Amino acid sequence: MKISQKSISRIESISVGFLYNNSKNAFKLKLFSDDSGFEKKIFEQNLHRPGLALAGFVDLFSYSRVQVFGNTEMRYLSQLSDSKKREALNRIFHFEIPCIILTDGNKPFPVLVELANKNNVALFGSPFSTTKLVYLVSDFLDDQFAPRVSIHGSFVDVYGIGVLFVGKSGIGKSEVALDLIERGHRLVADDVIILTKKGEGILIGSGTNLAKHFIEIRGLGIIDVERMFGIRAIRFQKRLEIIVELEIWDDKAEYTRTGLDERNVNVLDVEIPYVKLPILPGKNITVISEVISLNYLLKHYGYDAAQEFQSRLKDRIRNVNNIDDLRGVDYFEHDFE
Amino acid sequence: MIEKVVKIVNKAGLHTRPAATIVKLASKYKCEFYISKNGLNINGKSIIGVMTLAAEMGSQLILTFDGEDEEAAAKEIIEYFDRGFDEI
Repeated sequence: MKISQKSISRIESISVGFLYNNSKNAFKLKLFSDDSGFEKKIFEQNLHRPGLALAGFVDLFSYSRVQVFGNTEMRYLSQLSDSKKREALNRIFHFEIPCIILTDGNKPFPVLVELANKNNVALFGSPFSTTKLVYLVSDFLDDQFAPRVSIHGSFVDVYGIGVLFVGKSGIGKSEVALDLIERGHRLVADDVIILTKKGEGILIGSGTNLAKHFIEIRGLGIIDVERMFGIRAIRFQKRLEIIVELEIWDDKAEYTRTGLDERNVNVLDVEIPYVKLPILPGKNITVISEVISLNYLLKHYGYDAAQEFQSRLKDRIRNVNNIDDLRGVDYFEHDFE
Repeated sequence: MIEKVVKIVNKAGLHTRPAATIVKLASKYKCEFYISKNGLNINGKSIIGVMTLAAEMGSQLILTFDGEDEEAAAKEIIEYFDRGFDEI
């Protein structure tokens, strides 16, 4: 499976208005200034506490980051006279700062609101503690600035495992997804899957906002899975855990037989387990997909069937003389069932 | 591999009918066909994919053809884009 470089994208900036509109409920943000600073852009996912800059040390002041005023900054400002406050705040408003967030339910001083409006900088307040808010905002910005990749395939949650089906157009990815939905699994997205890197080593997949849970079945057209199968048949996002590539059976290709050699594919520098599945008449891909998921779960919980079989075989070869009966049962007297 | 930047020239943009035609044209060929717009890279043989682009008039798309019959495919599909999906 190869991923073209063109599929990979990264957002360069978001506006302050976007941050506010998408996070005001989650972060309980309150707007203290007017909205004239909503056009300002945020380019960095890191936050900054401008304590030292307020006190006068502005070398290396990370002004391009979102500025967080915690209890320290507010206490420092509160013990200054009005003219000193103005002087201290002007030191940071002198720079192009994107926005200011006051934490811990702190209320702004009138002079802070005045200067924010004058400099077109949005001023927010949040009841959360600084630590909590910094965590929430960093997480939100991390997600926005994370590298993304768009992939053609079908993405289904099978027994809680995110399985992405890829393969040539028309091979039957959507049909497998439909079959899995019918068996009670949940569709994340079909056709266009957007994978976003979350932290290190985690990819979260979702659909596009336009195509969400629509799927195309050849010969039938477009169907709406959410309407047809209900809310139980869908979910919005899922961690990607296995990639299954479907392909027409190829005599020359080598397919895994024992499962001892695990294969991975690298997506955005994350190693994802990868299974290549040949399609043959009479082969039920849906059931095999369920088994792939269950096997992944077993491995995750510490049991690897291939390893287990291998160790039994080694045991047997070592103790070959101690075996008198090849059958896998104990002798039951008069058991004719 | 053939790569070509095309521009949407008809007023209605890349709506359902041209999307269906593009998919139909592309499916005749064996080569892989991808369309990309603003970092969204989709398979040109999938109708939902092509519609997801929501390409409006004036927007630029990168078409990529890769495979044995790429030249014939590229010729036919690029011509269809240049004709404004027969809507101008």
